[in-house]
Amino acid sequence: MSQVETRARTLAFLGSEIAVLFRRRRTWAMLAALALVPVLIAIAVKLRPGAGRGPAFLAAISENGLFVAFTALTVSVPIFLPLTIGVVAGDTIAGEASLGTLRYLLVAPASRVRVLLVKYAGAAVFAVAAPLTVMITGLAVGAALFPIRPVTLLSGDTIDAGGLAVRAALLVAYVALSLLGLSAIGLFLSTLTTVPVGAMAATIVLAAASQILDSLPQLDWLHPWLFSHYWFGFGDFLRDPIVWDSFQDNALLQLGYVALFGAAAYGRFATKDILS
Amino acid sequence: MRNALHWLPTAGVAVLVAAGAVAVPAIAGSDSGLPDRAPGEILELIAGGSDTAFSGTIDQSSELGLPELPTSGVGGGVRSSSSIVELLTASHTARVYSDGAGGQRVQVLDRLAERDVIRNGSDVWLYDSQENEAAHLTLPAHDRAPGSVPTPAELAQSFLDRIDSSTEVTVDSGDRVAGRDVYDLVLTPRSAETLIGDVTVSVDAETGLPLKVSVDPQGQEQDAFTLAFTDIDFGVPAPDVFAFTPPEGATVEEIGGGFGRSHYAYGMPDVVVTGSGWDTVVELPADVLGAADYEQRTLLEQLTTAVPEGRALQTTLVTVLLTSDGRALAGAVPLEALQAAAR
Repeated sequence: MSQVETRARTLAFLGSEIAVLFRRRRTWAMLAALALVPVLIAIAVKLRPGAGRGPAFLAAISENGLFVAFTALTVSVPIFLPLTIGVVAGDTIAGEASLGTLRYLLVAPASRVRVLLVKYAGAAVFAVAAPLTVMITGLAVGAALFPIRPVTLLSGDTIDAGGLAVRAALLVAYVALSLLGLSAIGLFLSTLTTVPVGAMAATIVLAAASQILDSLPQLDWLHPWLFSHYWFGFGDFLRDPIVWDSFQDNALLQLGYVALFGAAAYGRFATKDILS
Repeated sequence: MRNALHWLPTAGVAVLVAAGAVAVPAIAGSDSGLPDRAPGEILELIAGGSDTAFSGTIDQSSELGLPELPTSGVGGGVRSSSSIVELLTASHTARVYSDGAGGQRVQVLDRLAERDVIRNGSDVWLYDSQENEAAHLTLPAHDRAPGSVPTPAELAQSFLDRIDSSTEVTVDSGDRVAGRDVYDLVLTPRSAETLIGDVTVSVDAETGLPLKVSVDPQGQEQDAFTLAFTDIDFGVPAPDVFAFTPPEGATVEEIGGGFGRSHYAYGMPDVVVTGSGWDTVVELPADVLGAADYEQRTLLEQLTTAVPEGRALQTTLVTVLLTSDGRALAGAVPLEALQAAAR
């Protein structure tokens, strides 16, 4: 098989993987649930504006609807996004194994490395789609229910629509990047079992455990090593000038997790007897 | 055996990560080979570096021996006392910018929030994103901005002003701060009465900009307070960094002239100073206990302990005694010295 042919096959495989992912009702249900977060926030603020303190940016919503998106993202990062990532990443290999379709994938012919890479790429696409859904619904709902003004950044400076589009894209990219490490962990856990629910639950539990450890001041030496440590660093894109420190640290950290758990997933998957 | 080979990449990545974690700090700690200098030369170096333009990141950490305060719900606006306590006791990261002349900016980077001090010529703006509060004041000529997190340059100057017969000054070299070679100016109090063991000011060998200030308590090696650049760039920052217009919807407060003065002890009447050098005790006729509102009183109860004279705040570096008859005494001395001064 020539190199070109291999590449074409891999691309076709990736395309069909993404198509399958987004043809699933479960994927759309999860994206719809994520889209519900900004909608609920916007309706709650609309019904009872100025009711006490809440998450960051909440107070600003009644004056500027665009803050719905930022509030929704802040609320989704610790729970809802890891939850959906856990489901998608935990399902990658174990899902095929439980359906009995994994061996057909491997006789296709596709090497085990290629199956892993394509499966991970599919999970990564979802990691982009999930925060993008929250951001776009947030902006749309906010614009529909509240007045829109130029957005005030954390530094007190104001940006116009063009600046907002750039920052919103950067926020989505940052959150997607933050979820790549967790996706790799999910992929690895998914190679360990043929029960997808087990891998999903384990991934979600790890996401919660990592955040709990991150909140204990006694373990501060461990904090920079936790994959959830920089999850809230996206606030740095709402400063002027933009502070890139947490983006760099986060990128390096997530890269480490992807490399480590990607390699571990390969180690497990390449040596595994595929029986189903 | 064939199966074991497939785990090689995993082991390789693990080793790589471990090696990176160990090797990076080791490279940073290599020797510099700077020429030896006298303390006076270092002071000149600092004086010559006061108009350096730079932008960088500062980390502040405090191990003052205070109880952990909740950092989440602090807020409280640009001038509240609880936010000042929080700034001193918790760890912070700030971005600082200076154009070497009239433009300075400090951004305290909180999680999803920010506090700013911006100086542009004689205009000074304070901004708190959580409360969406801004305050403006106009500086009298030749006055400095009341920064919420002082830059190392400002802190160093205040320590250097105190250098006299009370202090032994030595110079070390070989350290690196934010990837730059530095001279360490070590100030050791000659008095045994003070809580302060020594103060180290790390000065950039090339520009003379102080890059790190650390304070060690008496008899302890661990820094009680450090303020240090973690990275620095000596390019001139863009002018719009120093421009600030309060955002729409923000509460804006105009602070009358003399704000800078009234917040420093020397401008106040009835200040009683006893002792000298490092043992100085400052006494103010401030009825902190009586004037505290509910929120402040809760904070005071958390921070202070009851003593016969009133309540005392004891940290590894500073002691404050708030008497029940409406005085406040403070100094870098043990509590007994304050109690003696209060009598």
